Amino acid sequence: MDSNNDEALDIIVTNVVATFRTRCHLNLRKIALEGTNVIYKPEVGKVLMKLRKPKITASIWSSGKIICTGATSEEEAKLGARRLARCLQKLGFKVRFSAFRVVNVLAVCSMPFAVHLVDFTKNNRPIASYEPELHPAATYRIKNLKATVQVFSTGSLTVTGPNVQSVASAVEYIYPLLYECQKPRCK
Amino acid sequence: MFAAGLKCPGCGSSNIVDDDLYCQAQLVCVDCGTVVSEGTLADDPVGGTDVSYSRTTAVTKKPCLNLIKGLERVKEMCRILRLNGEIEDLALTYFRQAYQQESFINVTLQRKEVLAGCCVYVSCRQRNWPITLGTISSLLDADQTLVGGVYQEMIKILNIQAPFINIADVIGAHVQEYKISAQHVTKELAEDSKVLTKRAVALVELAGDSWIVTGRRPLPIMMAATYLAWQSLNPNKHRLRLSLDKFCHLAKVQKRNPAVTRITELKEVLCKLGRELPWVRETVTQDDVVRLVGDILEHRHTLLTRALRTHETAMQADCSQASALNFPTEEVAPSQRSESRDQTADASSVVQLCPTDRMENQEGDDSHQTEDPEPNWGKRVLFAPPCVIHAKRRREEPPVLNVTGDEEISDSEIDSYIRTPQEARDFALMQKAVSSSDSGNS
Repeated sequence: MDSNNDEALDIIVTNVVATFRTRCHLNLRKIALEGTNVIYKPEVGKVLMKLRKPKITASIWSSGKIICTGATSEEEAKLGARRLARCLQKLGFKVRFSAFRVVNVLAVCSMPFAVHLVDFTKNNRPIASYEPELHPAATYRIKNLKATVQVFSTGSLTVTGPNVQSVASAVEYIYPLLYECQKPRCK
Repeated sequence: MFAAGLKCPGCGSSNIVDDDLYCQAQLVCVDCGTVVSEGTLADDPVGGTDVSYSRTTAVTKKPCLNLIKGLERVKEMCRILRLNGEIEDLALTYFRQAYQQESFINVTLQRKEVLAGCCVYVSCRQRNWPITLGTISSLLDADQTLVGGVYQEMIKILNIQAPFINIADVIGAHVQEYKISAQHVTKELAEDSKVLTKRAVALVELAGDSWIVTGRRPLPIMMAATYLAWQSLNPNKHRLRLSLDKFCHLAKVQKRNPAVTRITELKEVLCKLGRELPWVRETVTQDDVVRLVGDILEHRHTLLTRALRTHETAMQADCSQASALNFPTEEVAPSQRSESRDQTADASSVVQLCPTDRMENQEGDDSHQTEDPEPNWGKRVLFAPPCVIHAKRRREEPPVLNVTGDEEISDSEIDSYIRTPQEARDFALMQKAVSSSDSGNS
């Protein structure tokens, strides 16, 4: 997986956010009254529906747009979304599953070495930014992948990107940059 | 009398006379008799000119009032912080530049004030004048996150870069705030600020080397360092008995809650080093270590190398023991990646550690280890960040289903109701009760 050495870095996807449309107007009150595992939020104008398997929380708007969060893979997100659409169908709405799109993927990864954040930021200005008083991690935005990597001094990373492939590429991209600025774990 | 240059709105003639017969002077057209009250026939249109002032091509435009106020605020802040003229000029330039940008021109007054503070902050950073964001936000009386957000935006828009501040520089200014010189408190508790600064700087450097400073807010660390420095400079029973709370009350500074944890962490590091002092016979505990701080700081580099060497030999001894005990499980461990098998994985990584350790020792670091998320490197190394030593255990994940996303979802599956554990328990109890009553009846 890595171009530099033979070890494989464990990239754990912790959250996948996806949206889809039902192509019909949804009556939120009906969903709130008749649906199972729902929370109605009239002040915002949405209903939250939680699915147990896969573990997904969906925000449902009356326009028919639905956002699903909490999945741990893209396939799981699609399965959960379809299951949700099926639930709404059973409630009586003329739902058509369309425009499914994974919007955001959040993953964590841990480097086998610690990183000297000040050196890393100095070498990669202005793409990297680090304000120790505001946030303990340095932020690195990869423009062409549209991914953001937050690097902590312990060597842990959190990566967000539009899909799982971009997240993996981002980790590969940033690995050599971090390797240059590694810090021995004890002095 | 003819009012020159006026036209009657009714008939358009210019025969208008001023009629002074009544109290109110009126203008009356001679031809048609239309009475027009004063002012309507004036040349200026009603409600001011058509073109607003800001859109005129008037050359002498007055600068925006808020800009002037903002510049005054910048000057005021520089005066409070006693900054030199160069920094002040730089801050004023930045403020003027930022004010032109559209993201700062139509914003709330509070944001403009925060912008003034951020300009001062950036100029200080660029001229290597030690100052923290906390100081600026307390000067502006604004939330630190808001100040942070405005600061990031300003940096991006103006495309400037600010060098990093070293906490050791800032601590000098921080220690000045503490009112514990001879004129404020009794002789036993008093301390000269220069001496105090020197020792606090040494403590902060030690903290920086041992992972206490990284990723944390600077103020509690500085407070902890000052407190320990003060205690250790004259460790009589009065000082040792005073808690952080009372110390802050004495020195008239506001106590920061994280400082208590920092003190504990610093003391732990000092204990680890204190053990290596050759003239210390009994074990070093957190209570005694304050007396030894002076010696520890004086010889800290030697003590550090000694401590690392002792730790390494201890680890090697451990691992040779572990390899003798855990040899049978060695083949099993690599095939298992689940987190519940923490112990075996730990042993396997320790086993792997020994051969590499013998190959590349004298470094004391594990940079070429195969990454195993479960046994964190905090346990293997002498100094590690507290977040790694007390790592949060990741929740046990259920086994990942082989999902493709295109499975058919049957009706029964949608309708199936999954019981919560509480309901399952209640159901089981009820079943038992029903079956026992049935058997009782029958």
